[in-house]
Amino acid sequence: MNRQTPRRKFATTPGTRDVLPPESTRLLDVQARIRERFKLFGYGEVLTPALEYSEVVEEPRLRDVSFKLFDPDNQMLLLRPEMTTPIARLVAQRLRNFPPPFKLSYVLPVYRRASVGRGQSAELYQAGVEVVGSESAQEDATTIALLVDVLNTLGLETPDEFAVVLGQTAFYEAYLQHAAPKAAPAFLAALAAKDLVRVDTLAASLPGKVAAAVREIPRLVGPATDGAVLEEAAQLAGDAPSAVTALENLQEILRHLDAHESLGAVILDLGLIGRHNYYTGAVFEAYSPKLGFTVANGGRYDNLLKRFGQELPATGFAIYLERLLSVLPEEDASPLLVLVGGGVEGTKAAVALRGAGVPTLHLSEDVEPEDAVRYASSVDACWVCYPTLDGVKLAPAEPKAGFEALGIETVAERVLGEAPREAYR
Amino acid sequence: MSVRGNLRVAVPKGVIFEDALRALEGAGLPVEVLREDGRRLFYEAEGTEFIVCRPWDVPVYVEYGAADIGIVGKDVLEEGEPNVVELMDLGTGLVRMILAAPAARTEEVRQAIEHAEVVRVATKFPRTARRHFEGMGRQAEVIALHGSIELAPLVGLAECIVDLTETGTTLRENNLIVLDEISTSTARLIANRGAYRLRNQEVAALVEAMKAGVPLG
Repeated sequence: MNRQTPRRKFATTPGTRDVLPPESTRLLDVQARIRERFKLFGYGEVLTPALEYSEVVEEPRLRDVSFKLFDPDNQMLLLRPEMTTPIARLVAQRLRNFPPPFKLSYVLPVYRRASVGRGQSAELYQAGVEVVGSESAQEDATTIALLVDVLNTLGLETPDEFAVVLGQTAFYEAYLQHAAPKAAPAFLAALAAKDLVRVDTLAASLPGKVAAAVREIPRLVGPATDGAVLEEAAQLAGDAPSAVTALENLQEILRHLDAHESLGAVILDLGLIGRHNYYTGAVFEAYSPKLGFTVANGGRYDNLLKRFGQELPATGFAIYLERLLSVLPEEDASPLLVLVGGGVEGTKAAVALRGAGVPTLHLSEDVEPEDAVRYASSVDACWVCYPTLDGVKLAPAEPKAGFEALGIETVAERVLGEAPREAYR
Repeated sequence: MSVRGNLRVAVPKGVIFEDALRALEGAGLPVEVLREDGRRLFYEAEGTEFIVCRPWDVPVYVEYGAADIGIVGKDVLEEGEPNVVELMDLGTGLVRMILAAPAARTEEVRQAIEHAEVVRVATKFPRTARRHFEGMGRQAEVIALHGSIELAPLVGLAECIVDLTETGTTLRENNLIVLDEISTSTARLIANRGAYRLRNQEVAALVEAMKAGVPLG
């Protein structure tokens, strides 16, 4: 029997893909720059296994989208669908005897089953931080400020290119518990589904003043620099004590964000209560006008660690790196030069070029300029050169470009000093 | 989607097209261009962009941010559960989601459901149908079709159907009797999550204007 293997088995599985240069270069570069910012804020990077016992993740939505498999003891495992829960587990298990707060970061892929036809990835690269063991509003503010810092560092500006939308899960819930405790779960479910029509319908059965507040609070949206949103919220919530506390918490976060000079990036939305059940306080999502999905999201989850035997309040965020890449401004590729052949003399030229700091790809075969240029463009190199007696012949990697004999130092200046494609156009 | 660019509105073809236009018109949007030329899919007028697509595709355009806001029936939202913000009930385009069976076999189907036997249901709304049966603690074999659902029980493909009905005429013509009303649905205004926050002033103003312009009921 000599049957052909179906070709599709050699494709990548649905929702996954190989990432090649220049996209992979960009992804790794963005990861490196994010790591630098995380480090600057004092975070320690951790790695956790891709596989976790299925019991570790409790959030129904996350369990539903997880890939599941069984280990040799017939225990159900899942590929981590996010990093917050694995880090909560890690902190509870490994860092018991150390003093909090724990400031941990990660840059890792997570896995979620993607439905065909929805353009979703099954493997998502994330970068994020978690602060475990502090309930201070200052920590919420600092994580938001770090997110803003990262997005700024990568070239996005506020308010035109991104905004962080900030809400407070506890505020609406506290008001409901105070004013309409029986109906609270129904309202929260409607709001979690972002169904404001259902909120309106449910409110119809409540007394006038409460109904108005219950309708209006989730529709309060506006820039954080303008105090109107919080003022209106305070008026609507009246004297519901825990709601007042939740608002004060938001105000304190805003004061710290102001000190971080990040307030301009923030839009308040009191209807934002977060997608996951584990959120208990401030929640936030970053949006770019170029994308319909969240670029990053996060928030406070004070009860999650309890499941793992430690009562530690926590906050954090995750950035979706592919989504972030899709909204980042184009950047010039780092310079690369293709050096062609030349035998031992060629190798010497390569050593000299690299010594001068020029990224050099040395081809061992002596190919014609035409082929060298084609090769160069396939590896995103901007320059082609051939070794000569006292230097190299250099040309931009373009068809029919003229070669120029230059010394190594001059080549280094050219290649590193200017964007050749622009310069020669 | 773009903060500084035009607001883009997804409008559904078909039965709620005219309702949608009237609602947008009531809010002062220049929808006249959409009426004039029924073939075009993309229009721009006075700083607003319109896309005209199938009702099923409206939430897709809005969820992905290809449109900032859109108008679509609640039935479509309940079936697809897209991650969008549902802003307003337009009150128009009222339809009922019903469970129906051929007149001759109504009692038989009712009994089968009663006794938790597995019934075969044809529908354009497989998730809605499944949810309905699961909610009752009953079992169903759901067959997804793309149109003319009434045909399925007549030729023995299914015992009953879950479908939308406005006046009940099609059901009567095909000799189908309503066994149960699952839900009612009206047209809704939806928004992309990002657009709703980033262009909130514009979107909120539009909602207010639509509320003022739309006669309720």
